[in-house]
Amino acid sequence: MSFESQADDIEHDVFSGEPFFSRPGGKIFIIWLILTAVGVLIGFYAPHHLLPSLDASTGTDVFRTIVFFTVLAAPVAGFVYAVAAYSLIAWRHTGDQDEPPPDGPAVRGNGPMTVLWLVVSTLLVIVLLVWGLAVWSAQQVTHPNTLQVNVTGQQWFWTFSYPGTNIETRSLVLPLNRPVEFNVTSVDVTHGFWPVNMGNQVDANPGEVTVLRTTPNRMGHFEVRCSQLCGLYHSFMYASGSVVTPSQFSRWLRSQGASATSANQIARVSTS
Amino acid sequence: MEDSPIGPRAGGLYRRQNFVTALGFGIVLGFIGWLVSHQLLQGSNWGSDMVVTVTMVAWVVGFNIGMGTFNAPIRWALGHDPSHEDELYAAGVGQGSSRYWKFCTDHKVVGTQYLVLVMVLFGVGGTLAMMIRTQLITPHSSFLDPQTYNAIVTIHGMCMIIATIIMVSGPFTNFVVPIMIGAKDMAFPRLNAMSFWVVVSAVPCLLSTFFLGGVNAGWTTYAPLSVQAPPAMDAFAITIITFVVSVTVAGINTIVTVITMRAKGMTMGRLPIFVWGSVIGGALGLYAMPAFLMAMTGMITDRVTGTSFFVPQVGGSAWLWENVFWIMGHPEVYVILLPPVAALLEVASTFSRKPVFGYKVLVAGMVAIASLSIMVWAHHMFTTGWAPDLAGPFMLTTELISIPTGIIFLCVIGTIWKGSIWTRLPMYFVYLFLWNFIIGGVTGIYLSDVPADQFFHGDMFVTAHFHYTLLGGAMIGATAALCYWFPKVTARMLNERIGKVAFWMIAIGIQITYFGQFWEGFQGMPRRVAYYDPIFLRANQMSTAGAYLLMLGWIVLLYAMIHSIRHGKRAPANPWYSKTLEWHVPTPVPMENFLVDPVVTSDPYTYGEPEPEEPSRPEPELVPVGTSEQSGTGGDV
Repeated sequence: MSFESQADDIEHDVFSGEPFFSRPGGKIFIIWLILTAVGVLIGFYAPHHLLPSLDASTGTDVFRTIVFFTVLAAPVAGFVYAVAAYSLIAWRHTGDQDEPPPDGPAVRGNGPMTVLWLVVSTLLVIVLLVWGLAVWSAQQVTHPNTLQVNVTGQQWFWTFSYPGTNIETRSLVLPLNRPVEFNVTSVDVTHGFWPVNMGNQVDANPGEVTVLRTTPNRMGHFEVRCSQLCGLYHSFMYASGSVVTPSQFSRWLRSQGASATSANQIARVSTS
Repeated sequence: MEDSPIGPRAGGLYRRQNFVTALGFGIVLGFIGWLVSHQLLQGSNWGSDMVVTVTMVAWVVGFNIGMGTFNAPIRWALGHDPSHEDELYAAGVGQGSSRYWKFCTDHKVVGTQYLVLVMVLFGVGGTLAMMIRTQLITPHSSFLDPQTYNAIVTIHGMCMIIATIIMVSGPFTNFVVPIMIGAKDMAFPRLNAMSFWVVVSAVPCLLSTFFLGGVNAGWTTYAPLSVQAPPAMDAFAITIITFVVSVTVAGINTIVTVITMRAKGMTMGRLPIFVWGSVIGGALGLYAMPAFLMAMTGMITDRVTGTSFFVPQVGGSAWLWENVFWIMGHPEVYVILLPPVAALLEVASTFSRKPVFGYKVLVAGMVAIASLSIMVWAHHMFTTGWAPDLAGPFMLTTELISIPTGIIFLCVIGTIWKGSIWTRLPMYFVYLFLWNFIIGGVTGIYLSDVPADQFFHGDMFVTAHFHYTLLGGAMIGATAALCYWFPKVTARMLNERIGKVAFWMIAIGIQITYFGQFWEGFQGMPRRVAYYDPIFLRANQMSTAGAYLLMLGWIVLLYAMIHSIRHGKRAPANPWYSKTLEWHVPTPVPMENFLVDPVVTSDPYTYGEPEPEEPSRPEPELVPVGTSEQSGTGGDV
């Protein structure tokens, strides 16, 4: 018997007169629907409960990406799991386990199924890619009115400074809804500047300045951690920060020693 | 040793060489190296880095002189060809189990040696993993100090990388592939033995790092931190260079064997899929590993002789290290993955009693994975600040690789589809692979996306992701291969009752351990930290509990193996009624495998097809593969 005719047999089997839901395909379809629904629920539920509070535009991007990708992946994972589960329910050899079961059908492939699989996975990849590129390029835009902050990593602490002032501080304060550019560098080894609740990061490389852009969009406290192993006390290389209103930011700048004029200028609050 | 076919003097020097002489030569030469470099360099500013480097190189060379690695080339250089009797001696004829401690050229002995070595390495790496997880039970544990912790994290990583690279290509490619293609041995039996003993000589270098200050930079040893690391880093670099030599030699050997040593009728289109996996994995290793050798050579010269490839303060570049490292590092995960996945497909086919689904598509998929994998390395560098304009292209190549990876899923479930699922122990691991590798794959797409990777990079999420793929995928595939070929290698059946207990412990242990780490990762816990914020406490305790269960599962599996070797039922030649050639030679497999040269008339996936009619064969002594009465090649059950 040629492979083609056997494949036809299988197809004939699939499209036989039996009601859809009592055929293997129908049963797998039901399992697939259930598993996909579970996956989609996980996609909506888990990130919301597991991620820390995300306080910036880039954090919102991360959140949406995780939800979107999980929802996209759910039907694919659900399909593989559904076939695997069904094969154990329906096709398992239940007799004497010391003897092999009779041979299965000599199906060596299925052209249409393979093509369908390739087309679907290619489409999914295109969706992933378009999503990723759109989000990424939007993050790269330099806004006018951007606050510049210099970040320096060294073993094992972070120093933040605000150009235009003499302020050097160990805790980061940012104004709400104002685009910010971190100019990140290191004086010794490679560190990872990771303001966790902003949802993005960039390495601090010795001898290079790398740029990280975001816009804080929620008031509150946030954490900065080091994401590259940097030696003995890597675990203790963290800092904290907060997102405040522009006028609070201006007051904080002055409390750190900036002149009233430069504080207002940097914080973009009117002097009145 | 009933009347030996070789004379009492055959083998020459090999007669006197074994593991003990190798240790002796290694230690003596290492000591001389230490003494000379120490004396010569007293007062110079080259210091202990040079001493450690010279000592380690001397140890590796000495060990291999003592083992006999260089005997044959030196004899050839002096104009003495080894005689046929010498060759037989080198292949282990008449030496009983002592041949496992010698420079033995029999591919089955080399395979078995590799199997033991891999298990030793997993034992070491697993113990280090347990120490890491124990440290992380509480946020500020005093179990390990931070320097020791960092050293353990590094060596856990590298020990496991070495072990997983050789876990299938060492034991099973060596043992099974020559038989599968109908060959009597590998194309280069001496290089085969060399590849094993060279990697053995690298292991003490790796472990010596704990006594030389510890490598504190993680297995990625990012410069410039690693350039400043204690002298342990020199031993680490010598380990890698030695290991690369071994992998390169082994890869070339596999490829040449499959190209030149196939039996009559074994066309490329009839090769079992595991042979394809071994060849493609080996070829990819030939691309990837030299970059590692180059990186580590530059590292040593930076540290010892004051070059500055990777030191930014004096004109080098940390990004150069990261590039060269990941040009090795990403193809390398597919060097690890492809052979076990291919072995898994053999298992899926045998235990579904069906042909491998989409043979040609699958081979094309593996080639596509290997080709794409050399163009994705910079996805490890999305957040380093290097070449932001390349983020898009590397996101593209990284996501493209999920298409051929999807083909692997299609072929596994296509093979299972409507099969007669025979749920013996190896088949359990096929299902566990499907479960784990989907999770590893789906979490991989978050990391391939630049904006999401900016959150997850350097975080426990990454750790959980690659453990799901490399442990949950590759290592589970290797375990399926182990359970599948165990009867052929040891001539005993594996005790499946104990084996299934181990299976469930491993399966559940993996889920608890790495779901714990996904949880840590979502919350924002960095990797490689010895101390952490108490908000991560619950997730860490979950992960540690799972890790203990997982380790216990492996120990139970080891017990099942030892118990079966000592008390197990004798294995028939073909307990799984499989159709690949290795099941149609006697168990234990005789010297040179085949009593009669096999002639192959079809591929080994003829499940469900009618047996070819006997009289249609042109010559009576030629028997198609896959029938059970191969005259002369030994009993089939």
